[in-house]
Amino acid sequence: MNATGEPLPAQSSPGRSGQRRDASASLCSRLPGGPAAVVAALLVLMPVVLPSRTMATEILIFAMATLACNLLLGYGGLLSFGQAIFFGSGAYLSSLVMIHGGFGLLPALLTAAVAGAILAALVGALAIRRTGIYFVMMTLAFNQTAYFIAYTLSDWTGGDNGLLDVPRPSPTLFGVTLVDLSDATAYYAFTAALFFLIFIAVRKIIASPFGSTLIAVRENEARAGALGYDTRNFKIVAFAVSGAVTAPAGALYAMLLNFAPLENIQLSMSENIVIMTVIGGTGSLLGSLLGAGAWVIISDILSEIWPRWLILTGGALILIVLYLPGGLWGGVESLMRRFRRGGGTRRTPDGVPENAGAAHPME
Amino acid sequence: MLYLFQVLNGLGLGMIYFLLSAGLTIIFGLLNFVNFAHGAFFMLGGYLCWSLTELTGSFWISLLAGPPVVAFLAWAAEVTLIRRIYRLPHTFHILVTVGISLILQEATIMLWGPIGKSIPVPDGLQGVVTLWNFAYPTYRLFLIAFTALIGFALWYLLEWTRFGGLVRAGSESAEMVALLGTNIHRLFARTFALGVGLAGLAGILSAPIRGVHPFMGPEVLGIAFVVVVIGGMGSFTGALLGGLLVGLVQSLMSTIWPEGASLMIYGTMAAVILLRPYGLFGRA
Repeated sequence: MNATGEPLPAQSSPGRSGQRRDASASLCSRLPGGPAAVVAALLVLMPVVLPSRTMATEILIFAMATLACNLLLGYGGLLSFGQAIFFGSGAYLSSLVMIHGGFGLLPALLTAAVAGAILAALVGALAIRRTGIYFVMMTLAFNQTAYFIAYTLSDWTGGDNGLLDVPRPSPTLFGVTLVDLSDATAYYAFTAALFFLIFIAVRKIIASPFGSTLIAVRENEARAGALGYDTRNFKIVAFAVSGAVTAPAGALYAMLLNFAPLENIQLSMSENIVIMTVIGGTGSLLGSLLGAGAWVIISDILSEIWPRWLILTGGALILIVLYLPGGLWGGVESLMRRFRRGGGTRRTPDGVPENAGAAHPME
Repeated sequence: MLYLFQVLNGLGLGMIYFLLSAGLTIIFGLLNFVNFAHGAFFMLGGYLCWSLTELTGSFWISLLAGPPVVAFLAWAAEVTLIRRIYRLPHTFHILVTVGISLILQEATIMLWGPIGKSIPVPDGLQGVVTLWNFAYPTYRLFLIAFTALIGFALWYLLEWTRFGGLVRAGSESAEMVALLGTNIHRLFARTFALGVGLAGLAGILSAPIRGVHPFMGPEVLGIAFVVVVIGGMGSFTGALLGGLLVGLVQSLMSTIWPEGASLMIYGTMAAVILLRPYGLFGRA
């Protein structure tokens, strides 16, 4: 069944246990400067290598959303089909406060972040009343709720036509314009700086006691609860963080397009974000950048040649679940490991077999 | 009178939602597997209805032949792909079926084009039936009667036949049923085909009212989830009452507040979740 002929490790992808994470950490730490340096290098390289600055910016925006989804799925074991709620509301709210409230860039992004956190905490608090499959179904139903709210409030959101003429103001300090963001390169640089900060922050969160507890909750919720942790609160906070990252991504997307379409809050957007997360690899933050990059580049190339390219995405999703549960990043990792060890054993650096500690990520 | 009209509409719509959700719930009960491609199979049923009606000129042939075709496709998907992933976590089930629904959606656009189709009301059921001074479309009346019949047949199948007994026993403990000598693989495949076939049937029945379009899958899936969240997952009665409730809310709201009709469905769900987190008939 598996490409390697061994039984599928039940945990590998979303429920990737600590050993695998250590593996990726040790892989990254072999690179000079660690993952942060890798990301910094990529951020500098991307606009040079990619055909357009707009595409590079789009990748980073989706990488933020993917990062936030990964925090929930890869570390919290929470598969949320509601990420578009936060992405879409971030886009709408920031646009509305800029259009009607005369907000500047940073206050608008901050509004999106705060609103995203509150909204996500609310959705999370309701959805985690159930676990496993019910939880996923409820996030999906909440996404539909949000979509219909946006659709119904067409006076504010523009309904089907989307919210038009979203400005892209330049950040100012004491009345002095710091940088003119109407330039594509400047906007890329701004997004890249924000992405870098978010990447570092999410890494810190995962490395913190909060992050370790979140992983403990994923691995065995009953045990974490028995140890005295209020697992409910950990999940709600994880949701809030995820919303606080996803909503500004939506805001940046609206500013990039100068337009906030209804698609931003549609279920298919949630689906896309989940697919990017899984394709890139859950439980690895670099994987999120890889997933978003692969998605944006492939969709850009293929949508020109063949408008029905999504059919391949469906196939890719199935193949990845069956044969590459660690996603693209997992594939890169195992290739590098095999290369280093000369095609050696399939064991993680701590000598734990890969499918040890198989745990159900969602129950 | 307007309200009576909408209540009848709601019953018909609700019974379609019931068939859809009963399929989802039966699959979940036995296989412990949630089919995120359920909405896509519903859509496929609708498109098959269009094609078969165009081809043969008769809605009745599509009603007869459509569900088996959808069920066969589901059976094929179970045997070749889905069977391999039962032992993986739920997350993987969801991702694989999301993949299947994407493939079905794009294949539908390739086969039938990106623009939706409308299906004419079948011969013999056009026009209205007049009761006292109240006129009601014949097809919608047929819909209520026919879905009630199917619902009864389904109940009989699950409660009184050997197959139904195995499905119910398997829902309690699939392992025990397998140990007692039943070919559990075959039972799983048949149940999956049955559940998805019900989605296909629901799609066919709704086609003359609602028409079809390639992006309806996620919308339908959302409604099926609302029904089972309200009714309680794995409960046949829950699917029936949840379906009727959603159908009635949607139809009544479409006269009171047309733009908000879909929104109110989800409002109903939110209210049920707040009051009864496990749904009306759900087991904790």
